[in-house]
Amino acid sequence: MNLTRRKSELVKEFSPMLEKTSTLSKIWIWSLVAIILVGAYALFLQIYEGQSVTGMRDNVVWGIYTVNFIFFLGMGYAGAFISSVLHFIKTPWKNSVSRIVEITTVLSIVIGPVFILLCIYRLDRLHYLFMYPRIQSPITWDVIAVITDLIGCILYLYLTFIPDLAILRDSDNLKVPKWKKKMYRYLAIGYQNTDEQKEKLHKITKTMSVIVIALAIVAYTILAWVFSLTLQPGWNSTIFAPYFIVSGLYTGVAVIILVMYLIRKHLKLEKHIRKVHFIFAGVILLILSLLFGYFTFSEYFPKWFSHKASDTNLLNTLFSNYFWMFIIANYGAVLLPLIIISFKKLRTIKLITLTAVIAIFCLWLNRYLIIIPTLETPYLPIQDTRPEYVHYTATWVEWALTFTGVAAFCLLFTLLIKFVPVIPMSGIIDNETDQNKKKRRFKKTITE
Amino acid sequence: MKYNIFKHYLITSLIIVITFSFNGFAQELDASNYKMRFNFKTVKQADNSRLLEVEFIGQNKKDRKDKIPVADAEISFYNILNEEEVLLGTAKTSYEGIAKITVPNSQKYLIDDDGLINLIAKFEGSDAIDAEEDEISIKDLILELNLEEIDSVKTVLVKAFTIDSVGVKTPVEEADVIISIQGMLSKMKLKEEYIEDGEYEFEFPNDIPGNENGEITIFSIIEDNDDFGNVFQKKTVNWGTFNKQVKEEGNKLWSEAAPMWMYIVLTILLLGVWANYAYTISYLFKIKKEGKKITENKKQEI
Repeated sequence: MNLTRRKSELVKEFSPMLEKTSTLSKIWIWSLVAIILVGAYALFLQIYEGQSVTGMRDNVVWGIYTVNFIFFLGMGYAGAFISSVLHFIKTPWKNSVSRIVEITTVLSIVIGPVFILLCIYRLDRLHYLFMYPRIQSPITWDVIAVITDLIGCILYLYLTFIPDLAILRDSDNLKVPKWKKKMYRYLAIGYQNTDEQKEKLHKITKTMSVIVIALAIVAYTILAWVFSLTLQPGWNSTIFAPYFIVSGLYTGVAVIILVMYLIRKHLKLEKHIRKVHFIFAGVILLILSLLFGYFTFSEYFPKWFSHKASDTNLLNTLFSNYFWMFIIANYGAVLLPLIIISFKKLRTIKLITLTAVIAIFCLWLNRYLIIIPTLETPYLPIQDTRPEYVHYTATWVEWALTFTGVAAFCLLFTLLIKFVPVIPMSGIIDNETDQNKKKRRFKKTITE
Repeated sequence: MKYNIFKHYLITSLIIVITFSFNGFAQELDASNYKMRFNFKTVKQADNSRLLEVEFIGQNKKDRKDKIPVADAEISFYNILNEEEVLLGTAKTSYEGIAKITVPNSQKYLIDDDGLINLIAKFEGSDAIDAEEDEISIKDLILELNLEEIDSVKTVLVKAFTIDSVGVKTPVEEADVIISIQGMLSKMKLKEEYIEDGEYEFEFPNDIPGNENGEITIFSIIEDNDDFGNVFQKKTVNWGTFNKQVKEEGNKLWSEAAPMWMYIVLTILLLGVWANYAYTISYLFKIKKEGKKITENKKQEI
């Protein structure tokens, strides 16, 4: 195989995504910018008028910002876990999804923590967290874990970008602006794909994969501990950390299926992202949904059985004010994948994606149910106070900033895949080289 | 035309998110399913003022455990004698379904020939709930509480009597009296006894802890009595002991410094991870160096 020719063929195949922006893409980008601008106005209002523009009050001090924080971080940690596991699997199809997973991971871990900053009124005191940290506080552990994980994931993402950046740097036919060319040259750090460089890059990528897997588990466990180490009813649970990890992985897989579907459709990558990817991801989704169901049942059943007053109050709240939300969140996230993916005939790309979309919605509701009802049922009953202090309802400001987070995720994803191809070209070449080697070895064995 | 529902499911799911009102699932209440409980009671307090209290609660006819307080209902309290009615005050029920007023000690009540004060609490009714009223008749009881040390014995002396219109004291013949002390959250009962001929004596224990000054608040209470309703009297006295806690409860996570093992584990974990980052970055520099060499060699060859 002529490597230089193959590289230029691949650059030619993927260059339209990097060079041109279609009208539809422009509309998409400007729509996202418009949502972000609305969010910027909401943020201005929140800073100018204070937290009273949100639904958060004395009792319910965490609202949908915290729900989004857990949701995005769960997605990020799950992505880190999956992309690192993919690195160890020797199969040609992993190449088509690996970059989607890596970008999802980094963007989620960048956007997630912004939501927790929105919960803080005295942002001017934020640096106290670093100046006077309490090592024994789970919040300090969480800050350290999130920062360490973010840097690790960015580093890992960068390592996987290097071979493609080198290919893009070396291709003369690529018509991209000068600054982009400069960036390719600068970021490719003189990588020439020599055997020594290849070996070094492979070695550090492998080590980083192991670190990222461990970090993802540790960081999400710590996030679960922020809740479970308190004595609040509904949070003080020994299975909270594995429960968080399973629901995080479930969210991550569901989001990856959705992103795969949108990219496949929009960038016409049917050749690279095939049905087999969706079926494999769908089966993982099914396994995770069952695990999620098992953990959810294990979480609530002992509470119902114990008859502890605080747990009974929480369950009463869940089954009165939040009845339908509780049913939709838990039944939707457990039963739907079971119904759709268990049957071979229903395993179509569209139905698997639909299942993923519903799972994302249900899992977001699940996080809402973990946080809000617990804060609405404290140990000391709330008495003689205004209704908005007892029941939390998110305001438009909170919704606007929530959608801004989603829009920022989509916008950054769109811009990143305009900078590097969404399917790693180096991965395609490596696979083809491996297959050629295998063929040659096979021929040699037969002829001998 | 075949309609493709999957084409728009993203938009549909977003609409579902926006349109869901999360608190909109609460069940609707219908007052006709509830039987109203309207309980009226009176408590004569330590300063001889009188508390009048109504508890207004709806109880589900099918599920008796389902009780819902009636809030914001206006309750009027009257003192009546034959046709004469004196309004003592009005109050609205709270979120717990309780309406109460305190009638001062100076209030002159209408008293019937048997020496009874007749009190009525009334709710006039609304569109959803019928009118309710409850009546109680009680005698005005004077409860005296004296705390004395008699021959170094701490003694609680209780006297209970009524006074008629000409000022003659009549001791209470038989009534239950409870001696309690004030705890942190509620009263702790020490003794429940019969008052005979209007007097009762109780030897106070020596081993009861008080506050940091050794003070204890002692109550004498007559509760739910058919003739007198609820009456209590209280006094604070320096009869308690103060036991200073010798051993403090230890929770190392709330101490100023974290336990040593935590520093060690965190340092090992962080050093391990960050050393790996440094190792990775050092390799990136090596790759860069090699890349430079290759480029220079290529230039020289040209």
